[in-house]
Amino acid sequence: MNTTTMKWLIRRELWENKGSMFWAPTIVAALLVLLVGGTMVYGMAVHGAPGIVHIDGQAMSRGAFAAAMPAEMQLKLAKLASGMYIAAGAPLFIIMSFVVFFYAVGALYDERRDRSILFWKSLPVSDGMTVLSKAVTALCVAPVISIALATVASLILLGFAMIAMAIGGIHIAGSILTQPDLYLQPLRLVGLIPVYVVWALPSIGWLLLVSCWARTKPFLWAVGVPLIALVLVKWISYTLENFSSAPLNIMPVAQEIVARLLGGIVPGIWLSFVPIPPEMHEHVRGPDMGLLFEASWMSLATAGAWIGAVLGAAMIFGAIRLRRWRDEG
Amino acid sequence: MNAVLSAKGLSKRYGKRVAVDGIDFEIPAGRIVGLIGPNGSGKTTTLKAALGLIPFDGQLSVLGFDPRTQRDDLMQDVCFIADVAILPRWLKVKDAIDFVAGVHPRFNREKAERYLALTKLKPGMKVKEMSKGMIVQLHLALVMAIDAKLLVLDEPTLGLDIIYRKQFYQNLLEDYFDEHKTIVITTHQVEEVEHILTDLMFIRDGRIVLAASMEEIGERYIEVMVSQDKISAANALQPIDRRTVFGKAVMLFDTAAPGGAPRQQLAALGETRNPSVADLFVATMKGSYA
Repeated sequence: MNTTTMKWLIRRELWENKGSMFWAPTIVAALLVLLVGGTMVYGMAVHGAPGIVHIDGQAMSRGAFAAAMPAEMQLKLAKLASGMYIAAGAPLFIIMSFVVFFYAVGALYDERRDRSILFWKSLPVSDGMTVLSKAVTALCVAPVISIALATVASLILLGFAMIAMAIGGIHIAGSILTQPDLYLQPLRLVGLIPVYVVWALPSIGWLLLVSCWARTKPFLWAVGVPLIALVLVKWISYTLENFSSAPLNIMPVAQEIVARLLGGIVPGIWLSFVPIPPEMHEHVRGPDMGLLFEASWMSLATAGAWIGAVLGAAMIFGAIRLRRWRDEG
Repeated sequence: MNAVLSAKGLSKRYGKRVAVDGIDFEIPAGRIVGLIGPNGSGKTTTLKAALGLIPFDGQLSVLGFDPRTQRDDLMQDVCFIADVAILPRWLKVKDAIDFVAGVHPRFNREKAERYLALTKLKPGMKVKEMSKGMIVQLHLALVMAIDAKLLVLDEPTLGLDIIYRKQFYQNLLEDYFDEHKTIVITTHQVEEVEHILTDLMFIRDGRIVLAASMEEIGERYIEVMVSQDKISAANALQPIDRRTVFGKAVMLFDTAAPGGAPRQQLAALGETRNPSVADLFVATMKGSYA
């Protein structure tokens, strides 16, 4: 593998998809900071921090509340903030799912539609490198961009929250800044990229294959074929169950296949295919990121993860072979 | 390596339609070959086969490689402009140069920039802001800066105005071509390429009907402005084409045809000259538009 060529190919993908890959999530991140952060600041500026806090029916003044808050409680709050702040970036990962989906559906179709494939094919770049560069862009580059933006946006929002709490008399900024979790969260997200790659492979493989194969309307093919197949399976299993008493149980399998073909690019989808560790339910105040991280990596211990990944890789290989002889236009 | 491109029994079918029908040809190095034929005659199919863009039957060797199985090696030494205006709309001039410089080991950046400096193209310009002629200028700048052994141009000037067309071929000849390079051009604007070609190949209905160097063609074909009194004598010598210009009969003769009259005999009929490629083309393709 020629790494210089790969570098240029990925750069090319970013030039072409700058709007969806970079500007769309950047705008979402900016809106997130503006709206959520703005609301916080506006609330503080207009109404001020609540002067009286009601706890268990007892009214306490704000100062008294902050003073009465035991250090242990403050630490808990700091832990919660440093553990949860990254969740504020969640909208970016929702956007990313859409961006990656439409990117992969168009990746090998658009170059045929605008005939630019003839230009790319006039250069010494193999079909394998080209298709792989698109897979890498979808599987790694898009998540890295999203993680970077999500981290920046979440940190800014955490900053707003710390200021808001400080105005309210709760001074835990120092405590939050010394929490190792604060710095670990972005790293954990980066550490989840391999998990994402494995689980997203079947989707990316499928979408690239359809993108390379479809003469027109790759989106309809990519979504329509699995859905129609699902309806057919439903009908078959329904008909057969009328004749035999034994239930077939092919529906759950078919549903899982379709879910993984189309939904594999949604980050965290793996948690719906593996049993969630019981400890996670005990955390009333939302999932613990450390446990989430562990559970995600544990999902790779299932056979389903790897069967899907192998099938996804096979479909990418199929797309490479298909592009070799695919005519433009 | 003598032949840059050699085909033996090259065939291509699209379903039932035969696009290329078992053709044989050889193109030696250092030539500029015009592959000329009407629409749908198999020109583009032949070139696409040579560039490894479509599967085909028969034998085809390009720079010693089989384009079906060794395309990745082949593309190190071959470049092509498949059609006008196929550069992607989002591409910027400077990005295009960076990209080709990044992936092509034989790309000469200075040469591309020098050529672009002569045009109105600016580094930050996107293809979608360019006219068709400017897109071709950019494409040509990229391609001319690649030191390829074989350059294939498939209708490179289609839809361009005359100034861009003339400039295109002039640049190609002056700044690109040398004895180590081979250029294959398809076009149906024959008049514009005939001065730069060294060889001609006429293709019709998937078959090659004429393949010769320009010198051979000059020796073989002769156009005679027949004087009024010798028309019946001239007709007896089986001209391959006749037309009337300013009331004078102009006849085209093939001296190499079976029963063709020798040069001296034709010279006796009237004023002689070398036919233009366009006239020869029309005479050869007679009937294929009917």
